[in-house]
Amino acid sequence: MNAALTLRERSEAEASRLPPLLARAEHLAGTVLLGDHGRRRSGLGDDFWQYRPAQIGDSRRMIDHRRSARGDQQFVREREWQIAQSIMLWVDQGASMRFASGPSLPTKADRARLLGLATAILLVRGGERVGLTGTTLPPRRGNAQIVRLAQAWSEDAAPDYAPPEHRAMIPHARAVFISDFLGPLDEVELALTKAADRGVRGVLMQVLDPGEEAFPYQGRTIFESVGGTVRHETLKAGELRERYLNRMARRKDALLQLCHATGWQLGLHHTGDSAQMALLWLYRALDGGTR
Amino acid sequence: MTVLAGIGFTAPWVLLGLLTLPILWLVLRAVPPAPIRRLFPAVTLLLGLKDDESVSDRTPWWLLLLRMLAAAAIIIGLAGPVLNPSRDQQGSGPLLLVLDASWAGASRWTSTLDQIDAQLVEAGRSGRPVSILRLTEPEPPVFQAAEAWRGRLPGLAPMPWQPSELQIDQVLQALEQVEGGFDTNWFSDKITFAGHEAILSALQARGGVTVYQSAAPVMAVLPASYKDGAIQLTVIRSAPGPAATVNLLAMGRDPAGTMRTLQSTALVFESGATRAEVELALPSELRARITRFEIEGTRSAGAVTLADDSLRRREVALIAGTRNREGLELLSPLHYLTQVLVPTADFLDGALPDVLPANPDVIVLADVATLSPAEQDGLVDWVEQGGLLLRFAGPRMAASDLGRDKEDALLPVRLRSGGRSVGGAMSWGEAKGLAPFDEDSPFYGLGIPADVVVSTQVMAQPDPNLADRVIAALSDGTPLVTRKALGLGQVVLFHVTADAEWSSLPLSGLFVEMLDRLAVASAAKTRQEAQLQGTTWEPIQILDGFGALSDAGNLAGVDGVDLLTGPVGPDLRPGLYESGKQKLALNTVSGDAGLTPATWPANVPVKGQEVSTETPLGGLLLGLALLLLTADVVASLALSGRLGLARAATLVLGVLLAVPQAQAQDAADTDFALAATQELVLAHVLTGNAQVDDVALAGMRGLAQTLYFRTSVEPADPIGVDLERDELAFFPLLYWPITPDQPQPSAAAYAKLNAYLRSGGMILFDTRDGDIAGFGASSPNGRKLQNLAAPLNIPALEPVPRDHVLTRAFYLLQDFPGRYVGTEVWVEAAPPDAEQIEGMPFRNLNDNVTPVVIGGNDWAAAWAVDRNGQALLPVGRGYAGERQRELANRFGVNLVMHVLTGNYKSDQVHVPALLDRLGQ
Repeated sequence: MNAALTLRERSEAEASRLPPLLARAEHLAGTVLLGDHGRRRSGLGDDFWQYRPAQIGDSRRMIDHRRSARGDQQFVREREWQIAQSIMLWVDQGASMRFASGPSLPTKADRARLLGLATAILLVRGGERVGLTGTTLPPRRGNAQIVRLAQAWSEDAAPDYAPPEHRAMIPHARAVFISDFLGPLDEVELALTKAADRGVRGVLMQVLDPGEEAFPYQGRTIFESVGGTVRHETLKAGELRERYLNRMARRKDALLQLCHATGWQLGLHHTGDSAQMALLWLYRALDGGTR
Repeated sequence: MTVLAGIGFTAPWVLLGLLTLPILWLVLRAVPPAPIRRLFPAVTLLLGLKDDESVSDRTPWWLLLLRMLAAAAIIIGLAGPVLNPSRDQQGSGPLLLVLDASWAGASRWTSTLDQIDAQLVEAGRSGRPVSILRLTEPEPPVFQAAEAWRGRLPGLAPMPWQPSELQIDQVLQALEQVEGGFDTNWFSDKITFAGHEAILSALQARGGVTVYQSAAPVMAVLPASYKDGAIQLTVIRSAPGPAATVNLLAMGRDPAGTMRTLQSTALVFESGATRAEVELALPSELRARITRFEIEGTRSAGAVTLADDSLRRREVALIAGTRNREGLELLSPLHYLTQVLVPTADFLDGALPDVLPANPDVIVLADVATLSPAEQDGLVDWVEQGGLLLRFAGPRMAASDLGRDKEDALLPVRLRSGGRSVGGAMSWGEAKGLAPFDEDSPFYGLGIPADVVVSTQVMAQPDPNLADRVIAALSDGTPLVTRKALGLGQVVLFHVTADAEWSSLPLSGLFVEMLDRLAVASAAKTRQEAQLQGTTWEPIQILDGFGALSDAGNLAGVDGVDLLTGPVGPDLRPGLYESGKQKLALNTVSGDAGLTPATWPANVPVKGQEVSTETPLGGLLLGLALLLLTADVVASLALSGRLGLARAATLVLGVLLAVPQAQAQDAADTDFALAATQELVLAHVLTGNAQVDDVALAGMRGLAQTLYFRTSVEPADPIGVDLERDELAFFPLLYWPITPDQPQPSAAAYAKLNAYLRSGGMILFDTRDGDIAGFGASSPNGRKLQNLAAPLNIPALEPVPRDHVLTRAFYLLQDFPGRYVGTEVWVEAAPPDAEQIEGMPFRNLNDNVTPVVIGGNDWAAAWAVDRNGQALLPVGRGYAGERQRELANRFGVNLVMHVLTGNYKSDQVHVPALLDRLGQ
């Protein structure tokens, strides 16, 4: 009774969190025009590809009578081969993402989930299969998958800097990793090399807060990670700015190098900017790779 | 007391605390502010970064400065700083403050009191006993603590006189009784008086004397006199100085009885002159109203002179010999005299015996020849008391034996019998003009119009004294006007009639001017001592030292001679005195007085009256310190990142520092006003009956929808209005359903409703009983309506006429059904003079919106719709019912259109179109 009640309560709370995210993601996704990924060769699909003369072995059912009636030869109407991609998403659920430097800014986690879900919606509308890296949610088609994704992302993870999930990646699939990539770089490197080994290519989307880019702090300060695991005290925060920005630049550079080495693409998004731009970039990056 | 640059300190040693400030600076500087805790995911990038300097971060310099300033303000504040400390009192021992306290110092009285107060404060600080002695109201000096005197300062007032000899004696006696020595500060009014030196030497015998007096000269107005048709005004000043201009105001009551400045005139003091004069020629009417003259901007009894009888309206008795003649008005012998005197004089009506006891100023006898002996004696007595008897000749006088053989007491000359006629049809010669006036004639200087001719006159006997008595003559030298003195008064004879029969003189402006010169219209009778002998005058209003009049209360009466001769003082206060019907003004400064400036021996220091007030600054500085510390709290909190706390602190401090004001009611009012004014809003009056209110609201909603769909009026959601609480001015139309049990609005609500109706609002009263009752008191609702509407300002009503603009404001309507059809609808009645013009279908009706529409057809019920727009209540039966609802809606549209557009559709411009639609 008790357990059922709490479960019910929790699920209600979760459910109440879902629709806004979903709605916003749908809204965002609605701004991007869709297109199927044609394979540029004949196969199973909806779009016309070419007429070819009927050959032995073709079923009579396949003959296009409208074309064939114009002459003596019989033609078969071929369609463009359209294939659905499997796209695996990973959105950082770590505590470090739950940060916003100002009251008017969304947290990084919020923006990352929004981008992830909007991408998923776009891809599902495009007929792709979308899922999570790892074993929890393998790629599937259909709108139900969107709801499952939203549900999966409505839970926060405890650890401060979550490592990218790189298990159970389907070979030659595509992947999207959305995170701030402020945690240990080794994990990212490991994940990307593993993905490259399996022929998985994709996109790294770095979501940063404007505060993390500008470092507008002064005076005696104790900096603490959101999870509380790491802290650093300084007497003059203003003095650190130069060096911090250097390190940040180096981190981005390292990520870029990694991407070049593995054939991935690196995108940078600030929570102060419009989500739509990031979504467009993300979609084009994926689209360009598929076509 | 230590004094630095105008600021003194009562406890200067506390200033040593300022030396600790540098130490405090160092200490505060070394203590770093508390660290701020910040969440920062990118802290991983910071790990391992070392601070460059090993020195700890410092408190920001501005925060340090703030704290230093606060500390300094506290230290200086505790040291007791005083701005402008007074330093001009030396010595110790008792201090006597001597005040002239006469009218001459009244205009600077406030600054004198300020200076005395400053001296008292200083004396109190050095513990000197003080006494104050006023020369105009001497009391034996009693030395008391200065604080005790400070409380009594506001009670001191200047007196409207200068110290008299009696008072000087009192002062000298009082000073003799004081034991021991004392210093004296003498606040002089700059005017000297008898006994000035005696007091000065008596004071100098007891100790040092310092004199304080202002540099500005004292000015005074001398009593106004009336001479040669103008008021003579003189202002004197105590010392000859550079040229100056003063404004003299003539004050009096206007016809409405309000005291106001009737005339303002500028007087110019020549450089070096002590006297300035001006003549003020005013219309007699205005002059008679003047009650006082005063120097503008000077508040003292000397700058005021009161006007008494001498400037007031004269009382004139007009007596004609032919009173019983019922002639035309223009033939009345007194007509021209009346025309001349009406603006300036009051008339006494009645026969001579009745008029005489009223003691008029002037008696005019027009062609009166015979007087009874009693009248004759009475008139002679009256003239000898100062009356002016003005006689005009005429047929009767010419025919009588008056003054034929010997000079009549009441005629200036002997008369020859019969008179003469020149220039007539039966006579030789031409009508005569006037000869120029002699230099000693009162008429000297008047212009003589050429068209003034005399055709008939009575002739004077050539007596030896005739030449002296003629004041106007004809061109042939025969006298026209003669005059003789009789006692204090005079007798004047015009040798022609007062009307235009004998001469054209009464028709001319010269006649008016001559009467004015003769002081018939007005005169200044200067009173003689003999006249006042043995009279007792009762004070009515007295002047205070500042020149303000106040009621005399029960002051004793004074002897008439004293009024003329005695110096003003406590027993003879300046002011207005009355005896019988006469009024006499006693002014502070009499006619022959001058103002002699006080002179002081060289060994008496004389100081000016400039006073710089002491201002203790301690409280100010401590308050400043408090404010700085408050700012420090907020700044420190902001620095350590607890800005939320800082906001809370600001809030709390704001609450502490400022008195919070409850604004909830205002906010509610504002919301209501916003809701009611952002769009056009229809409103109904809340009756307290929930069902009726609901239907009314639904009805308003229905009407609003109808308007929205059919017209360009697009109302927002309707509002129920509480008459007691809500502002009505926002609504063009109020629907007021009547229920028998609704409460009577309060008086305030009625005031609001009346203001609403006056300012163009309209109320639609609906008794909602059209099915069972006609209009009137025949139903409970009707009676209630009468009760409710009784205090309202409702004009006369009539049933809607066929050409009322309501019938064509939007739709063409003949009747105005609601849920019921029947009772008549009443609106403001058309003006009674509205008439239909031939060929026009409509009258030009009243030019405004009817403030009320009264009916009983329960319109709201017919209009009412629910939220979905479905009609709420059934109307009639079947299609006919729907038609009735439609007509009800049309009535609503017409009503709102009428409210919003007024009589626009009443304009005859629309007639052709309307006629076309009416099919006529």
